[in-house]
Amino acid sequence: MKLRQSFRLSWRSIRGHRLRSALTTLGVIIGVAAVIAFVALGASLQAGIIGDISPDDQRNLYGWAADPDTEGGPLAGAQFVFTQDDMDDVAELTEVEAAYGYATIDAQSVTYGGETSLQGEGLIAAGPSYIRESSIDEGSQFEMGEREAVINPAAAGQFEENVSVGEDLEIQLATGATETVTVVGITDASEGLSPFEGFESAPRIYVPTDPFYADQAVGPAAGDGDGDDEATSVRFLAIVVESPTADEDDVDAARAAAIAYLESDEADASEFLGEDLAITLQTSTELLQQLEDILDLLQNFIVGIAAISLVVGSIGIANIMLVSVTERTREIGIMKAVGAQNRDVLGLFLTEAIILGVIGAILGTILGLVAAALGAWYIDLPLVYPLEYVALAIAVGILVGVVSGLYPAWQAAKTDPIDALRYE
Amino acid sequence: MGTSADAVTLTDVRKTYHVGEPVHALDGVSLSIEQGSHTAIMGPSGSGKSTLMNLVGCLDTPTSGEVSVGGNRIAELTDRERTDVRGRDVGFVFQTFNLMPRLTALENVALPQLFQGADREERYDRARDLLERVGLADRAAHLPRELSGGQRQRVALARALVNDPAIVLADEPTGNLDTDTEAEVLDLFETFHDAGTTLIVVTHERHVAERAERIVHLLDGEIEWIEELDDVDGDGHRDADGGDGEEATAALEGESDEQVGEPDDRQPEGR
Repeated sequence: MKLRQSFRLSWRSIRGHRLRSALTTLGVIIGVAAVIAFVALGASLQAGIIGDISPDDQRNLYGWAADPDTEGGPLAGAQFVFTQDDMDDVAELTEVEAAYGYATIDAQSVTYGGETSLQGEGLIAAGPSYIRESSIDEGSQFEMGEREAVINPAAAGQFEENVSVGEDLEIQLATGATETVTVVGITDASEGLSPFEGFESAPRIYVPTDPFYADQAVGPAAGDGDGDDEATSVRFLAIVVESPTADEDDVDAARAAAIAYLESDEADASEFLGEDLAITLQTSTELLQQLEDILDLLQNFIVGIAAISLVVGSIGIANIMLVSVTERTREIGIMKAVGAQNRDVLGLFLTEAIILGVIGAILGTILGLVAAALGAWYIDLPLVYPLEYVALAIAVGILVGVVSGLYPAWQAAKTDPIDALRYE
Repeated sequence: MGTSADAVTLTDVRKTYHVGEPVHALDGVSLSIEQGSHTAIMGPSGSGKSTLMNLVGCLDTPTSGEVSVGGNRIAELTDRERTDVRGRDVGFVFQTFNLMPRLTALENVALPQLFQGADREERYDRARDLLERVGLADRAAHLPRELSGGQRQRVALARALVNDPAIVLADEPTGNLDTDTEAEVLDLFETFHDAGTTLIVVTHERHVAERAERIVHLLDGEIEWIEELDDVDGDGHRDADGGDGEEATAALEGESDEQVGEPDDRQPEGR
């Protein structure tokens, strides 16, 4: 018997029990939809994160010192160990293009033209090259030792009158002090520049670590407080080491040189390093890899749960097919009496199960993608739905149909026509 | 026993079922059924009629002895080959019609050819032709439940004939029909028999059996006797030489070979 005929006959019997077929399919629909939705959402989430890493960022190494056993994201368990001298020395290394500390300075608000805007994000203190020249839309990088700032478009646009290069901003710090900074540059985008900041869009003000961090660091950030020269007494929690290029070998060389220096006795940081603390220097991609690993793990877990519902759906199909075989025993007898081979009967019932599986998979894919689109829209992510999901879902549908239909179809095929014809 | 002109040959056939103790459903039956003949098989229930039908219909194999259908010794065939013979050489007509409930009359008639791998167009042409010959051309698109008992049995007959089988096996073909419909259906059987189909009818009704050329009486799995019937009017109707002539005559009254189907059915022309 030809496949097409088999399909027509099977489709006929599926339509003969609309409600039953619909309910059976529902099991598969829900299973496939759940899997597709979570996989698509996960992919969207990862795409959202990776999409935020700019190519410029690839040559930066972000570092901190923490107990090597500490688990978690960037800066987990980090301690204040790096001095400005350390950074200056690292910057001198041939393998390193630039090195500087990174810190957030707590601030309350920003005043411009008599208008005050809250700045809970604080100020981001770093080296001048933290903001690449290529990402500055207008003006230039700030200089170390100057009371200058580079702001992003979101920060510039938060006042009634846009802030432009050359203007002054008054910043009320968390300590109560007020700083006046001159805006020397405005960046081209409002997204964060490194994993230390996070990648979401927000008003950001970038300032040099010297003098702002040295002056304003509070609490433990103020360093060991032994009254030494201010520049060496203030220690950084986080550092950025730039390699000359984004080439993997250069990045690795910069990393090795920086760590070697910081661990050597010459470095101020070395007095705290050892058994308890180890330096981590990672690129954005490496840092996000950890996050992605965690996301992957979570996603696999959820998809695993969703897959269970797919298994339940398959059992539903198997159950219905078994009922269907019993119910149609007489029809099987008739078909065999008029010359149907075992494989014809097997084919018919298998086709029926596969049709149910594939319909469930297709509808489930559509439902899953709709759910993923809604989810992505809700948490503001770009929806990623590779087309191969659809092909994969159909393959899963066929698989579910074959797996769940094989035994019932085999039962049908081996039915004795004599008994079947006598069956009431 | 068994010549090339025989459609079916049974040689010392035994069929034993083991239900607790062995039951001999058939106990040494030898019979040959000539090509183009019309044979009735009679006997009380439990006499082995159904078993005989199953064997001739290639649904079952004998415990011992030899059953040959259209020259094929069925005991030597694989299940698949037996199914082939069944589909190609045997047409079944059942008491309960046994039509596929979700298929139309046309699709039911076309069904056996489906398993022979025929094309859709070819199948439907052939099925339409046969439906016309049983006078149901206008019922082709109807489902079995929309047809009367007589119509259903005519669809079943058309289906039995669709592969041009060597033999048509009818198991109580009129058991579920009223007297008038019964006569129509039996007339139709005879029409096809006259056209050369070998007909084997299992029945427990004397007047149905009397349409045959001979009646094989079964009892307790053995052939009790074979009753040869004389041709009454020389055109296919037979009368029993030892049976109840009155009943047979009554059944034949008011009929002719040419009149088939319900009176208000339009008869296809050029049949």
